[in-house]
Amino acid sequence: MTEPILEARGLTKFFPTKRGTVRAVDDIGFRMSPGDTLGLVGESGSGKTTTAQCVVGIYAPTTGDILFHGRSIGATAAKRSKELKREIRIVFQDPGSSLNPKRTIKQILATPLAVHHLASGREQLARISALLERVELPPAEYLYKHPQSIGGGEKQMVAIARALATDPSFVVLDEPTSALDVSVQAKIINLLLGLQKEMGLTYLFITHDMSLMRNVASRVAIMYLGKLSEIADTAEFFQRPLHPYTKMLLSSIPVVSDEEESLKPAKGISRGEIPSPVNIPPGCSFHSRCPSRLDVCDKIDPATVEVAPGHVVRCHLYPGPQEGSS
Amino acid sequence: MPNSSLLLEIRNLHVGFRIFEGHLRVLAGVALVVNEGERVGLVGETGCGKTTTVKSVLRVLPIPPARVAGGEILYRGRDVLRMHRHALHVLRRQELTAIFQDPLQSLNPVFTVGSQLRDIVRDSMRTPEGRALSRREIEARCIQALEETGMPDPDRIMSNYPIQLSGGMRQRVCIAEALSTTARLLLADEPTTNLDVTIQDQILRKLDRLVDQKGSSVLMITHSMGVVRDLTQRIYIMYAGSIVETGPTRQLLASPKHPYTQGLMASVPRLTGRGVSEGIPGRIPNYLEPPPGCRFHPRCPHRMPECSVEAPPMFDVGADQRAACYLYRRSSS
Repeated sequence: MTEPILEARGLTKFFPTKRGTVRAVDDIGFRMSPGDTLGLVGESGSGKTTTAQCVVGIYAPTTGDILFHGRSIGATAAKRSKELKREIRIVFQDPGSSLNPKRTIKQILATPLAVHHLASGREQLARISALLERVELPPAEYLYKHPQSIGGGEKQMVAIARALATDPSFVVLDEPTSALDVSVQAKIINLLLGLQKEMGLTYLFITHDMSLMRNVASRVAIMYLGKLSEIADTAEFFQRPLHPYTKMLLSSIPVVSDEEESLKPAKGISRGEIPSPVNIPPGCSFHSRCPSRLDVCDKIDPATVEVAPGHVVRCHLYPGPQEGSS
Repeated sequence: MPNSSLLLEIRNLHVGFRIFEGHLRVLAGVALVVNEGERVGLVGETGCGKTTTVKSVLRVLPIPPARVAGGEILYRGRDVLRMHRHALHVLRRQELTAIFQDPLQSLNPVFTVGSQLRDIVRDSMRTPEGRALSRREIEARCIQALEETGMPDPDRIMSNYPIQLSGGMRQRVCIAEALSTTARLLLADEPTTNLDVTIQDQILRKLDRLVDQKGSSVLMITHSMGVVRDLTQRIYIMYAGSIVETGPTRQLLASPKHPYTQGLMASVPRLTGRGVSEGIPGRIPNYLEPPPGCRFHPRCPHRMPECSVEAPPMFDVGADQRAACYLYRRSSS
């Protein structure tokens, strides 16, 4: 494996509330190589957005650490160096609320350039135009428009341009297309894949859409109630899903052709509700919904086991070699 | 098809909205049919007029600004648009029922689930002899309706407020409300769009079974091709206020004929992992000045001169499959 660009080690983020501690992210670890797209997939409340926000420095982890090029970046953005903030950027889910409605697109894109002292005056305008061209929006038409006068897909392209303004190497995409129609999503995804190749970007792609990840990610990680249940390279992941939750997710996807239907695992009929992250079931947090539950599942939290090179599962069905029968 | 099985027929429906900037011409001649016991899907992207269509059928569009500029909505042969208040009330109470996308908006936050459910059952259910239900019968029917949706512990849920339930549970309450009555036609407007995929799967399977048991008809509105494929027999594809293609669901999804449907299907990410297409260029037209002729022509890769002159009628493109596109003019007899 090449030197990882980003690594999470025992990353944990708890939020104390009146009703108890929300264990949003609970001891997760992953490594990403340059040029990777890690698809972080999970349902609502699984902690995928909190993970992303720890990576960009919106939150500091409760315990654990995040390494960027081997250096610890666990602090919040306020304590991060500007250089680091230039390298790690984020695109949010809803471009309607992440773009300031009172500013023109030119002003929106000028902000990161000014903050990071990258360009000013005439050079700034040239950079902004180049950015807009990069996301396939003709500058002459879009420079002086306000966000509300352009479509949802175009807004998201502006948000992507803003993220790319500082020439980052790592971009967190937090459900960048889930608010958009599929025909617009297709356009944005192709744009993102093109930009990745062109600029050598590494993506942490947060989503709930498994079908999309099949086409976009190089690795897929499944999160459930703050923990990673399974990580594997995309092809391996979809050919040989192991965790019962992964199987349940895959079998729940509504698909549009018989060919895809045959790719879904037969087992794993969906049941049960997602428990509240304040009140996570003991043992394996998935045991209350699991179709292949064992006796130990509600007592002991399973360990993370590498069942094949790069394929990691956290489930008692796949005990590690050192564990034996517990 | 025998005429007696016809339940809902929308004929050439035109609906517009008068706003400050002018007149939004949204629905431009929507035509669709739901037969008795049939499940029909109405599919389209944001802003194509799906919800306006459903609201027209229920007659809950705010008029003004909305304005029905023409067309008919026939329910068992009677025009809903010309019904008097009392007839409309009876229709809504006893024949039609609806599930909307956001259960927090369709459930009243200041009443318990039980009180809302009881109101519906009391108002719309009668015993076989035509007598109103007793209090105990109402209670039993409510509990049963909740149980049928797979709700655990319905007694407790009855005394809860909507805010105390999860999204999936709230949508189950809406389904219970919709299916607690003897309604014949269920209008489901994106009922699972806000839900997680595993919860969506559960709810759709439950809905599927309940609709089967009751033999109701369904008009399912959604933007998800996968959801219609699982739940419906026939679909209509809608673009910018008109129906562009219709046919048996699986056949149409396997071989779409209209250029818009083709672009849409190519944009859907597949589990087969062969990448996604470039999407459809451009965006949905402005309803203030919709393009003349076929509303899709500015974005269409197969545009012909006549496309911008007159909107194409439906042409046969396969067994029971029709598309509103001049590409198929010859194949029509």
